[in-house]
Amino acid sequence: MNLIGISINHRTSSLELREALHLNRDEIVSLIPLLKEQIFSEGVVISTCNRTEILGFPQTEGLDVNSIIGSLLQAKPIDGIKPEYFTRFFSCGAVKHLFSVASGIDSMVIGDSQILGQVKEAFEISEDLDFAGSISRRIFDTAIKVGKRAIKETTIGEGAVTVSYASVQVVEKIFANLEKKSALVIGAGESGELAAIHLRDKGVGKITISNRTIERAEKLAEKVHGEIVPFQFLKEHLHNFDIIISATSSNELIIHADEIKTAMKKRKGTPVVLMDIAVPRDIDPDVRKIDNVFYHDMDSLKIIVDQNMQKRKEQIPLVEKIVMEELVGFFNWYNTLDVVPTIKSIRSFFEEIRLDELEKIKNKVSDEDFTKIEDMTRRMVGRLLHNPTVKLRGFAESGANIKEVLTNTLILKELFNLEDFPTNGKSDAEENHNSEGNDEKN
Amino acid sequence: MSQTITTLNVLLPLLYLTSFTVYLYDFFKEQKAVGNVNRIILFITIIVHVSYLLALTVEYDHPPITTKFEIFSIIACSIAFSYFILELLTDIRGTGAFIILFSVVFQVISSIFIGPNYKVPEVLRNRLLGLHVISALLGYSGIIISAVYGVLFWLLYRNLKENKFGLIFNRLPSLEILEKLSYYAAVIGFILLTLAIVIGIIWLPKAFPDFSYFDPKLTGTLFVWLVYGVGITSKWIANLYGKKFIIFSLIGFIVAIASLIVTNSLARTFHSFY
Repeated sequence: MNLIGISINHRTSSLELREALHLNRDEIVSLIPLLKEQIFSEGVVISTCNRTEILGFPQTEGLDVNSIIGSLLQAKPIDGIKPEYFTRFFSCGAVKHLFSVASGIDSMVIGDSQILGQVKEAFEISEDLDFAGSISRRIFDTAIKVGKRAIKETTIGEGAVTVSYASVQVVEKIFANLEKKSALVIGAGESGELAAIHLRDKGVGKITISNRTIERAEKLAEKVHGEIVPFQFLKEHLHNFDIIISATSSNELIIHADEIKTAMKKRKGTPVVLMDIAVPRDIDPDVRKIDNVFYHDMDSLKIIVDQNMQKRKEQIPLVEKIVMEELVGFFNWYNTLDVVPTIKSIRSFFEEIRLDELEKIKNKVSDEDFTKIEDMTRRMVGRLLHNPTVKLRGFAESGANIKEVLTNTLILKELFNLEDFPTNGKSDAEENHNSEGNDEKN
Repeated sequence: MSQTITTLNVLLPLLYLTSFTVYLYDFFKEQKAVGNVNRIILFITIIVHVSYLLALTVEYDHPPITTKFEIFSIIACSIAFSYFILELLTDIRGTGAFIILFSVVFQVISSIFIGPNYKVPEVLRNRLLGLHVISALLGYSGIIISAVYGVLFWLLYRNLKENKFGLIFNRLPSLEILEKLSYYAAVIGFILLTLAIVIGIIWLPKAFPDFSYFDPKLTGTLFVWLVYGVGITSKWIANLYGKKFIIFSLIGFIVAIASLIVTNSLARTFHSFY
C-alpha cells in the first residue's frame, strides 16, 4: 500500500504553530485541489486546534514527502515552520496512525470525544470534492469504526478531564435529579461559560448567570437558555440556588461564610454545592465547615481531573488492541484486492467458453431443450469455479504471505492465459467491494 | 430429603460468599464484563435458599422459625431477597456487597450451628405465627438495609466534605439516592414491623393466656417501632434532610440490635421457645 501521510501535532510542535497552521473548512477546500493537482490521486486533510494531518495516495512513485509540506505551506504560509515539526507515516504505519487518531489515544487530552467527529467531517469534505476513492473510503470507515468501538468497549472517554466538567461530576454525586435543581454561575468568562454549558448538557432545571458586565451575562444566559441576576443583587439570591459555581477574575472574595450561613438558614438546611473554579478564589473556604454545604475549589477538582486522566491512560492498551484488530481486518480486505482481477478474469474466461459452446448447439436443439442446457451449463460453471474462488480469496484474506498470493494468481493466469480478460474497467477495490458475499450465489 | 438439606446447608454459605465476592469485585473494579453476572448469581442463591427453607418445612413438619439458627437463615434470605428487589427497582448495583455481607454472616452462623428439629411446641405450628415471624424478619431486614445505606451515605458525605475522591466517591450513587434508599428501606421495614406487631397482638391472647404487655420483647420491639415512626414522620412532615434522617436510621438500627440482644439473652420472655 502506498498511503503516505504527514502530521504536525501536540507532540511535535508548539501550540502557537499548531494554531497558526490550523485550517478551517474553507482553507481545506482550497488546499485539496492543490494536492489533487500536484501530489495525490485521493486523500484527506484533517485539521483541529491540536493537529493538522494530510494523508493520501500519491499519483506517482517516489514522491518526496516534503512536497506535501510545501503544498500545505503554499495554502497557509506560516513563518518558522520546519520539516522536523512534521511526523511522516507510510503504508501500514499511516493507516495505524489514522486509527489511533480516530480512537482518541493520540489526542492531547486522551480519549477526546471530538476527534472522531472531526475525522468523519474531514473525509466528508474529501468525498464532496471527489478526492476520495474506494480504498480511502474503506480506511476511513474502519477508522470511524475503531473510534466507536473504543468508546463502546472501553472507558477511554469516561470521567471529567477538565475542571469545569469535574465540578459537574461532583454535583452529580450529591444530587440525583438535576432537572429539579437550580444553578447559579458567577462569571461569564471562558470557565464560567464551560461550566454553564456542562450544567445545561446535564439537564439542570434552571441556570442563572451573574456577571459584573451585564451584557456578557445576558449573552451567556441566552446560550444556555438561562436567566440573569444582576451582580449587585447576587447575595440576596444565594438561598435560591442548589448549585453555585464561581469563576470570576476578581482579586477579592465574592461570597463569604456568613452569607452562606444566612442562605442555609433560609434553605432550612437543604444542601448546596459551591464550586470555586476561580484563581484567586471567589468563595471563602470556611464555608466547608457548614453542615450540608459542599465546597470545592480548583485544588480539589484538580484531583478528580488527574485521577480521570490516569484512568484514561490505563485504557490505552485496550484501545491499541482494538486498533490492531481493525488493522488486521482492514489489511485482510486490502490483500484481497490483488486476487479480485484474477477471479474476475477466470470467470469471464469460463463464461466465454460456455456462451461459445451454447452458440454452437443453438440451432440443433429445441428452444425448451436449449433453455435447459443453458441453465445446466451455468450451474456447472458456477460449481466448477466456486472452490477456486473461495480458496483464492481465503488465501488472500489470511494475509500471511502476500508473495504466495501473487504466485498463485500468476499460476492461474498462466494456466488459463487470462491476460486477455480484463475486469470491465472498474477499479479493483470497487470490484472487490461489489463482489463481497457473492460467492455463494455464483 | 435429609441428605438434600445437608447438601443445601453446605452449599448456601458458599453461594452467598460467591455472590458477595462478585459484588465486591464489581465495586472495586467496575468491569463491564461483570454485567449481570452478580445479579444472576444472587438470584440463583435466593432460589436455592427458598428451596432449602421449603425442604426444612417439609422434613420437620413446621416452618423453620423455631430456633435461633433457623431464624438466622430466614434473615439471610430475607436480606438478600429485599436487596434483590431494591436492585431490580432502582438498578443501583454498586452497593450489593455491603448488604450481601450480612446474608453471608447470618447464613454461615446458621449453617454451622443448625441441627435437625423434629419436636417443637404446638404453639409454633400456628399459621398466624408464620406470618408474624416472616413479617417481623422482613421488617428487620428493611432496618438492616436502611442502616447500611445510612452508613454509606455517611461515608460519602464525609468524603465529599473532606475532598476525598477515591473508591467511595467513584462507585457509590449520589447522596440523594443513598438517602432515598435508606428512607424507603426504613419505611418498608417500619410497615412490616407494624404488621408483625398487629398480628402478634391479635394472636398473643389466644396462644399465651398468661402473657404480659410489659414483656421485654414486646416493649423492646415497640421502642424500635417508635424510633422509626418518629424518624419517618419527621422526614415526612418537617422535610428532614439527609444527615439528620440518616442519624435516625442509625439510632433505630442500634436500638433494634440492642433490643434483640437484651431480650434474647438477658431478659426472661415468653418469646423464648428454645
